[in-house]
Amino acid sequence: MDRIKKDFSTLTLVMIPVAIAINIAVGQLIFTLKIPLYLDSIGTVLVGVLVGPWAGAVTGLLTNLIWGLTGLNVVSAAFWSVAAVIGVLAGLFSDAGWLRAWWKVILAGLITGLIAAILSAPISAYVFGGVTGAGTDVVVAIFRGMGLNVLPASFAQGVSSDPLDKATSFLVVWLIVQALPLRFIMRFPRAENVKPA
Amino acid sequence: MSEALSLYVARPSRVHQLHPLTKLALAGFMLVGGLLLPGPWGLYIFWALVTLPLAFLGRILNQLVIATLRVAFPFALSVFLIQGFLWTGGTPLFRVGPLSLKQEGLAFAIASTGRILMVVSSFLWFALTTRPDQLMATLSQRGFPAGLSYMIVATLQIVPRFQARANAILDAQRSRGLETEGNLRRRLKALLPLVIPLVLSSLIDVEERALAIETRGFNRPGQKTNLIVIPEAPWEPAARIGILICAVLVVGLGLWLR
Repeated sequence: MDRIKKDFSTLTLVMIPVAIAINIAVGQLIFTLKIPLYLDSIGTVLVGVLVGPWAGAVTGLLTNLIWGLTGLNVVSAAFWSVAAVIGVLAGLFSDAGWLRAWWKVILAGLITGLIAAILSAPISAYVFGGVTGAGTDVVVAIFRGMGLNVLPASFAQGVSSDPLDKATSFLVVWLIVQALPLRFIMRFPRAENVKPA
Repeated sequence: MSEALSLYVARPSRVHQLHPLTKLALAGFMLVGGLLLPGPWGLYIFWALVTLPLAFLGRILNQLVIATLRVAFPFALSVFLIQGFLWTGGTPLFRVGPLSLKQEGLAFAIASTGRILMVVSSFLWFALTTRPDQLMATLSQRGFPAGLSYMIVATLQIVPRFQARANAILDAQRSRGLETEGNLRRRLKALLPLVIPLVLSSLIDVEERALAIETRGFNRPGQKTNLIVIPEAPWEPAARIGILICAVLVVGLGLWLR
């Protein structure tokens, strides 16, 4: 409990809305550039890494709920639990010291992506009938055409895009942390996790 | 105050005058109904009998239907094509070349579309008729953690500013010769010069903001006075309990009919 209280300092409370805005703004930038990734969890991973798993979870959850409830991306609201888990995982990997070497960062992203794919498949299969109305539906169509059922097809689609997406997000966060002034990073509770040795 | 991120449409309607919590209960009722009512057509009946009249009462029927269809249509198309034609096994209804429309796939697509329709329109109904700041003010008056409501309101205000900043960075980098169009490799190379400045510039003022709200007594314990008073009709608390009971009944009905 004390740990949680320490994590949610005023700086964290201010950081989370900025992180959510980063998620949304970068997500839309990627959409404009027509890059076949989402990259809508950079802020979530950043908070998870610097502040901890709980704050990461709150960032992910609020991102998807706000994005959905404001009608900008209604689909995302259904995936709030996945977004929260991504934040938790970022925090755990940071605690485990995986944010110190670039190859461990990529590995952490790949694992996070795999878990995200496992968690989001039932949601997309049950709530949305396996499709999201986005470009990735083509992938679902291919897997359905190969004779997979709704749930396995959604899962296969997730596995083919989520690990790459999350690995890229983690790597971008790592680059950001390298570029941030140390004075700024030291204000966060998990600064030790990312400080260069 | 800069423009906040919200779908809210101001209208002189009975729905708009309702207490935000009452509207939240109604939206929750629609969501539960939308997710739990069985059968392909139950959802559409529920939508026509509950959601549309509520939108009509709120004088936002047009906005609701247009916004819902804009989200639901790409889905509906995708789900009909993919699940209708690529359903494994099933009874074929008619054939188009090598593919055939399957009865089971069609039923699945109708049910999925109905569910999307309900989920999307209950969210939108709430967002169109409720001001986010009023909702958050209500929640924090009811003991909702102040930190959490600060985060939500702040996000709604920051996001439009960030989108503007993202566009400014996009324009600036383009004018310096960054190629943002062309093949995938070229577009991927544009990624970092756009994302890194956006994130770094936005993090720089985080510290200042934290100091600003701390000096305004954000962390001070004890009772705080509210600037916004949200009006509530005397019958509304009872109505909310009634709506919740209805929601539980719908859940029961949904599970029983399954």
